[in-house]
Amino acid sequence: MKPEIDQILVTSALQLLSDLVPRLPEQHLQGEASLIAFMLLLSANEYGRAAEIRAAENADMRALFAALAPKVRGEDLRRELQAAVSGEDGSLAIAALNESNYALRRFLIRLHEHVEDDPIANAEIWSLLKTIAERRFLAPPRF
Amino acid sequence: MNLEEKLAAYLAKALEAGDLSVESLSRIPGGASRETYRFRALYTKNGVRIEHKLILRRDPPASLIDTDRATEFRAYRAAHALGLPVPEPLVLEEKGDALERPFFVMEEIAGCQVANILLPDPYGAHAGRIGEQFFRTLGTLARADADAIGLGAFDGCKDVRDCWRHELSRWQREIDQDEREPQPIVRAALRWLAKHPPPPAQKIALVHGDYRSGNFLYDGDGNIRGILDWEMAHLGDPLEDLAWALDPLWSHGDPARPAGTIPRDAAIAIWRRASGLDFDEAAFRWWEIFASLKGAAIWISAAREYAEGRNPDPVNAFSGLYCLAFHNKVLAERLAVAA
Repeated sequence: MKPEIDQILVTSALQLLSDLVPRLPEQHLQGEASLIAFMLLLSANEYGRAAEIRAAENADMRALFAALAPKVRGEDLRRELQAAVSGEDGSLAIAALNESNYALRRFLIRLHEHVEDDPIANAEIWSLLKTIAERRFLAPPRF
Repeated sequence: MNLEEKLAAYLAKALEAGDLSVESLSRIPGGASRETYRFRALYTKNGVRIEHKLILRRDPPASLIDTDRATEFRAYRAAHALGLPVPEPLVLEEKGDALERPFFVMEEIAGCQVANILLPDPYGAHAGRIGEQFFRTLGTLARADADAIGLGAFDGCKDVRDCWRHELSRWQREIDQDEREPQPIVRAALRWLAKHPPPPAQKIALVHGDYRSGNFLYDGDGNIRGILDWEMAHLGDPLEDLAWALDPLWSHGDPARPAGTIPRDAAIAIWRRASGLDFDEAAFRWWEIFASLKGAAIWISAAREYAEGRNPDPVNAFSGLYCLAFHNKVLAERLAVAA
């Protein structure tokens, strides 16, 4: 059995905090090193969930676009919407998921502007944005 | 010459103390927009040997949000003249000749600490006492007349009707410039703020710009001794500072007790008494949303600095990862209710 990446990050962070930070001569360096340790802990947390978050977010955006299709006026926007809805994530690599995520987010911004005065569509988009924000939120590790 | 020797040579002239020496120069944490050093200046004045504990704030090679050290220095000077708890600013050098980059020097307030924003309940038994001082000091700042404290021509807004637009434009520019990945929540918040402007400000006041828990020094008896980090100071609507101070990011995990101190209603009541201003919930709502949007703008800039390798300071990674996600959540929760 080999150590998993998140375990390595957590162990490294704790070693940094307990063994190395106290030996640093300047308060400024101690602060920086502590923050680096904190970032390692956050990264460990992200390691386990990053792909799932992005895949779920992309699926949710595509589903919302499909639901809002009848509200979309204008050929160009409708064509873009259809292209976005019919896309899929072929790879679970973070870079690939990010690429489709950014394209979908760009379209979400345009669509939101387009339907913002429709209270039902606006509320549906805000509901998704709330879900996205909650999913991406990082609970700070407690020491 | 090293930094210590250069600083000594400069201060010997500026303070007219030919025998001045600098000792124990050491860098301390002090925000991402300045390098901060603590040191002791030893010199003789009128036959008396003086040991002065001082702070050097020097521009970094690249700054997250471009701020003018003269602005920060003048804001410290005005706040000090008002009797607010701030370190006394002493010397401003705007050229880069002496220490490679512009800087200023101010007194050190020793024996104090600054709260870590990630710690729950950092003030413990002193939370009430600190909260009372924190919001009273902010109200006192809002009460001050900008002309009377010599800041009538300071940066910022000059018309009570335009404060919101002035600030929104400023931070929209930062977002437009630094947004690397599309930000649908931030973009929606920008549109909401533009469509729902607040009423005119009750007055134009000196706004600190980053008045929050984690930006003041307090001692072991629960006394606030120094309000720090005035680099984003400007003229504007006093509600801007109050909304920033009450923002959940600075609440140490309990938004019902802003700044990790006292209940929200008590904080607002103290601010009202000290400022002499009304608290308009509708106007404040705009500034609350704006506060989280301004935070998001700062974190987006930080994320870009880090992601593009210009500034590897871990605080930029922290801002781009943790703080941006935090403010996106706050904005989505608040604006989903309004939708």
